[in-house]
Amino acid sequence: MTPDAPATAGPAMVAGGTPARSTRTVAGGLAARRAVRSGALWGVVFGITVASSALGYRSLYRTTAQRRALADAYGTNHAMSTLFGPAPDLQTVAGFTAFKVTMALMLIGAVWGLLLGTRLLRGEEDAGRWEVLLAGQTTMGRATAQVLAGLGAGVATLWAVTAVATTLVGRARGVHIGPGPALYFALAVVATSAVFIGVGAVTSQLAASRRRAAAWAAVVLGVAYAVRMVADAGIGLHGLVWASPLGWVEEAAPLTGPRPLALLPLGILCGALAVGAAHLAGRRDVGTGLVPDRTRARARTGLLGGTTGLAVRLARPTVLGWWVAVALSGLLYGLIARSAGSTITGSAVHQVLAKLGATGTGADAVLGVCFLILAVLVAFAAAGQCTAARAEESSGRLDNLLTRPVAPAGWLGGRLAVALAAVTGGGLLGGTAAWLGASSQGAGVRFPLLLAAGVNLVPPAAVVLGLGALTLGLAPRATAAVVYGYLGWSLLVVVVGGIGGGDHWVLDTSVLHQMSAAPAVPVDWTADGIMAAVAVVAAGVGLAAFARRDLAPA
Amino acid sequence: MPPPPVVATSGLTKRYGDTEALVDLDLEVSAGEVVGYLGPNGAGKTTTIRLLLGLVRATSGTARVFGRDSRRDAVAVHGRLAYVGGETSLWPGLTGAETLHLLGRVQGRVDGAYRDELVERFSLDPSKKVRAYSKGNRQKVVLIGALMTRPDLLVLDEPTDGLDPLMEQAFRLTVHEARERGQTVFLSSHILSEVEALCDRVGILRSGRLVEMGTLAEMRHLSALTVEATFDGPVPDLGDVPGVGSVVVDGRVVRCHVRGSVAPLLEVLARAGAVGLLSREPSLEELFLARYGGSEPTGDA
Repeated sequence: MTPDAPATAGPAMVAGGTPARSTRTVAGGLAARRAVRSGALWGVVFGITVASSALGYRSLYRTTAQRRALADAYGTNHAMSTLFGPAPDLQTVAGFTAFKVTMALMLIGAVWGLLLGTRLLRGEEDAGRWEVLLAGQTTMGRATAQVLAGLGAGVATLWAVTAVATTLVGRARGVHIGPGPALYFALAVVATSAVFIGVGAVTSQLAASRRRAAAWAAVVLGVAYAVRMVADAGIGLHGLVWASPLGWVEEAAPLTGPRPLALLPLGILCGALAVGAAHLAGRRDVGTGLVPDRTRARARTGLLGGTTGLAVRLARPTVLGWWVAVALSGLLYGLIARSAGSTITGSAVHQVLAKLGATGTGADAVLGVCFLILAVLVAFAAAGQCTAARAEESSGRLDNLLTRPVAPAGWLGGRLAVALAAVTGGGLLGGTAAWLGASSQGAGVRFPLLLAAGVNLVPPAAVVLGLGALTLGLAPRATAAVVYGYLGWSLLVVVVGGIGGGDHWVLDTSVLHQMSAAPAVPVDWTADGIMAAVAVVAAGVGLAAFARRDLAPA
Repeated sequence: MPPPPVVATSGLTKRYGDTEALVDLDLEVSAGEVVGYLGPNGAGKTTTIRLLLGLVRATSGTARVFGRDSRRDAVAVHGRLAYVGGETSLWPGLTGAETLHLLGRVQGRVDGAYRDELVERFSLDPSKKVRAYSKGNRQKVVLIGALMTRPDLLVLDEPTDGLDPLMEQAFRLTVHEARERGQTVFLSSHILSEVEALCDRVGILRSGRLVEMGTLAEMRHLSALTVEATFDGPVPDLGDVPGVGSVVVDGRVVRCHVRGSVAPLLEVLARAGAVGLLSREPSLEELFLARYGGSEPTGDA
């Protein structure tokens, strides 16, 4: 047996009863394989984002005058810095790229980290696969440490692919990003992934299920983002930037004025979280969390009269979480809309917003972009409902219903109706909260306008639901990949297309591009109607196909 | 006209790509019968049941339950049956009581008094969340959820997986009750003693094909009888006696299997002065193992 033979191959014991190396590291090996694959994939996405931003800027802002105008408008705009972080240098490709992509990649990387970390730690345990591992030559603490090492390999891969892509982009004509800064930039961007893998690892020890562990880690991320927003809002609280890991990356200032020391606390925090998680893992039983779980409850049967009521009951905690996130985001965007809008009218920022479809004036234009972000949140909630429906089937829970007098299409139709109600509620809440925030600042944006902008968030999410139903009917095992893949693609197309032009046919494939940038422009009810029709047809075909096909286990 | 059989399949076949999960199954179960369905893992037991429930489509052939197509009329058929699977997955956030409430409402009819009796009999604590239940307790929830509706047909796919011997006893009692009430039971199992204790007829499945179907008495008749004779003198040579095989001599005791009539053997034994004689019908386990070549009581060529 060679030292690097696959962990699952070969005898478990070598002569003399010494455990072979492979049985001790099998957990880490399995985790590393999945984490590296995922890290490589997302590294490519990060690379494409960096390339599109750098090359888009190069072609859009050719002259020094254009670049100076952009810098004058953006560099001092607190609304922009609240959303995307500070923009100290917008006159170079490197500086613009750092401003444009750092925050987005940090957030995506953090979400990636907390989902992957909780999946490979807590998810594997929930599925019962850890018991097999732990019956071997390892303990909870050691197995956790191994999986963390495997996850570390995933982060290293994410960093390496992002770094290589950034270096290659940096060599393009007129971009001027050296290999050193490129490597440092990639490090700063992926640092939050490592931190949130650590956060997910700790919540995986505290919570009794993967879903709860991921939700708690997401709350930590939300707080970290909100703290950073307040720090960058220009209200004299910039010191708060040190209270958020996202702020530390900002202070590390990749591609503008590098301060590598600011990354030091990130490293320390990662180490502390990893050691803490492994330590906590050693102090609990398999399948339990350190925060005691309520094992008994009084029966609440109000919603349990049928399959659609059950769908409401199951979706309720997740949907409430999304609603809170959408409402808080809407409120925040409303609060900043006026001050942001006052500085951009007629400026170069205005041109950039216009390229994202927000051609209005002042607060309306800013809210146009903000509602695009809300649309992404609402559409992700819709995608989550599609994968939740598939999980009912793949887990076998659906068997309990479909072996009783329940029509398959009725069950799926009920779930889709609940999901549609959830995204509609999200849209209305987002619009109302944005209006509350904006009117508290005297922005003078009318309520019907923002409510319509909230309703306008629903059709793109409905298309995602329709696509999810269609996939569930035709290729159920691909449901998660298709809905999240399509959503990621739609997002990429508007971000890249919004900066660098982009082909009309490519842009049209993005459901977020099809949505009008209300309230910056009037709601395009025709486009919404077409999206609704597409959603209805896709869902109808999906329902029919679902009723006809065999149930498909995992 | 007699009522249609509760379950009737004809040429029922299911293929997954090149894999033949079930081939040409012809099966009939009459009202009030308790039928056992045996086979090793992967023989096609669960595939048969998923076809009967209409959860998967047949590649060819038909499956009728209560005289109706099991796939096309699934909703109507399901109104009169209840199903218990071996690998049970329930909603972890619901309590046992909430789960039973849901399953009853979805089914549309529940015998509440009987449900409470079953909860008692299976010693289930319904206030606990499913997440906190052991595998056996989750299985109890599913069993109670099926039995409490008093269905005309019970479809059970390895239903006692994870139950301890006491609960297995409670389960057998419950199936006996169901039979006495005239309910039909289709029981897939690999616990042979369970099938032997409960079932009127038994089918044996092998690699997707039904290789045996009949009452236990019929199947035993087809198989060999085990005979053990003791002598106080020399042991006779039984090798040439018609129908006798697998002769083993152990001191003054001889053991053999005999197929067909026992008269020729008895004649030889009597002549040789046998002082003791034991004969035993093959157990279901022996019949089953014989079908799969694990033992040799039938002496098949």
